[in-house]
Amino acid sequence: MIFLSLKHLTARKKQTLLILLGIVLGTTAYVAISGMMLGFQDYIIDRLINNEAHVRISAREEIITRKDIEELFYKKNIHSFWKVPPSGRRDSLSIENPKLWFDKFDKSNDIYAYSPQLTAQVIFKRGDTEITGKVIGSKPSQEIRVSNISNYMEPGQKFSDLGDTGNRIILGAGLLGRLGARVSESVIVSTGAGRSSPFKIIGSFNLGIAAIDNTQAFASLIDIQKLQGVANRISGIGVKLIDVNKAQGLSEFWREFSRDKVESWEEANSATLSVFTIQNITRNFMTISIVVVAAFGIYNILSILVTQKKKEIAILRALGFESFQILEIFLYQGLILGIIGGIIGVCLGYGVCLFMSTLSVGSGRMMGSTGKMLVSFETPIYLKAFSIAFISALVSSIIPAYGASKLTPIGIIRSEAD
Amino acid sequence: MSIKLIDVKKSFGNPPTEVLKGISLEINDGDFVSIVGRSGSGKSTLLYIMSSLDNASSGKIFYNQIDLVQMNQKEIHELRNTKIGFVFQFHYLLPELTVLENVLMPARKHNLQLTLKLRAMELIKEVDLEGKEHRMPSQLSGGEQQRVAIARALLMTPQYLFADEPTGNLDSHNGDRIMTLFQKINKEKKTTVIYVTHDKEFANRALKKIELADGALKNA
Repeated sequence: MIFLSLKHLTARKKQTLLILLGIVLGTTAYVAISGMMLGFQDYIIDRLINNEAHVRISAREEIITRKDIEELFYKKNIHSFWKVPPSGRRDSLSIENPKLWFDKFDKSNDIYAYSPQLTAQVIFKRGDTEITGKVIGSKPSQEIRVSNISNYMEPGQKFSDLGDTGNRIILGAGLLGRLGARVSESVIVSTGAGRSSPFKIIGSFNLGIAAIDNTQAFASLIDIQKLQGVANRISGIGVKLIDVNKAQGLSEFWREFSRDKVESWEEANSATLSVFTIQNITRNFMTISIVVVAAFGIYNILSILVTQKKKEIAILRALGFESFQILEIFLYQGLILGIIGGIIGVCLGYGVCLFMSTLSVGSGRMMGSTGKMLVSFETPIYLKAFSIAFISALVSSIIPAYGASKLTPIGIIRSEAD
Repeated sequence: MSIKLIDVKKSFGNPPTEVLKGISLEINDGDFVSIVGRSGSGKSTLLYIMSSLDNASSGKIFYNQIDLVQMNQKEIHELRNTKIGFVFQFHYLLPELTVLENVLMPARKHNLQLTLKLRAMELIKEVDLEGKEHRMPSQLSGGEQQRVAIARALLMTPQYLFADEPTGNLDSHNGDRIMTLFQKINKEKKTTVIYVTHDKEFANRALKKIELADGALKNA
């Protein structure tokens, strides 16, 4: 019955084109918006996963609440009333038992690498310039296996040149600029406790994130421990897993037997991931709205068509065509519109994505090394866009098609006679 | 093959109004039958029940001794497609299809449109529409459209041709052409023709006349 479906569609070119346009626009919008949003999201997630530790263990941060005090001092059945509810923090400056963690990681099959770190809030001084920032002390040979920091070093420089000791430092590119310093010059690094030491600048990194590039630096773990006067102390361990998908599960498991703070990359970046979730909801909502409008168009036009075509349905039934064949006539019309609209929409969406990927939207690595808009061309986007067009066309044509299939020839003839 | 009706009744509405009051009759192969009667006498209802398009409230209808009520939907559709041809007062052509495509429509049920194309062309020639195969229905006169509907009804070489006031919408000249065509089909192809008409002259052309009055047979 596809013959009749095509005849119906081609006989009403304007209606057909209008509905097709709705489906094409919906599908194109989905592909383009998804490509743009997911391109950016994939880039950020890739950076979150690959540039930083999958799980970070850091010194305990404990907020003291009223409940903690009540549980400690009173029995369960005693109700206490506070004039001023207790509050406070019980933090630790360092990981309590690093060796325990190292032993655990060494024995585990899930760990790819780990890197102990000591972070210090410091003041960088050069001449009259003083800038507050943060220096991370780590073992370079371990750090480069946990984070991708070496990929962001300025050309010709190596992160591993920090060595295990020797007061060498790598500054963020922004920080280097703000200090007015150059590589191979020295900078004074001072802690809040008044301890200070000169460090030789051996390079700079450029992550493309101003907040980090302008304030952060890397040095060897031993040098920072010396600077702070706290031998063997570490404030965190970055852990890289073989399978990133195990990050959340392992974090929850490790939290069970340690008072140190254990955080997976998802937990550490939950705010960013929440924004992505909201973006995805908005994207799907927008696209579904467009497709629903197109689907209503199909539904309305087919419903009107069924009413207009009652006489033809009557004669087809009288000619021996069965109800499912009548259903096919109208169902195929919806499906043809869905398939053609979906294919054109997907192709057009691909074209729009290609065009968007050539647009310059800024400089720096946040927008990729080229400074062009980041667009995702992943196959699932296109499959999903086509499926949305196809399914919405199918669903919207089923009701009128089913209605047409239920019409009896004599019912139509009598209603025509009335 | 013959059509036999035994005590066929049909009621409509609530409370029920009896439109056909126990009709019993038999139509033999090759008969040329007119159904006549005043408006509301039940002519069209009888035709539709006889032709399987409508169900009787009670009674039996036999097609060559096979009870129509016992047939399943598939068998009824097959009967309509291969054994029965319909012509309505309003031709009910499909406006998006050409003359040839309209005539070939019954063949599409079993994808026989290519096989029966030559036969369709012959039928179009028979109904004097040669050269108009590729015209759209909107480009034809009322009489021509009705002749297309007749050609369509004859495509599958049906045993029975049912027509509900086939000349009702035509002028006398075109009406006459249609009736002459029916007579020719009946004579040459031995097709049983059963038609409802208001026109006395056309009714009298039938070899057998069924006259209805208030849902009952007046004479047969």
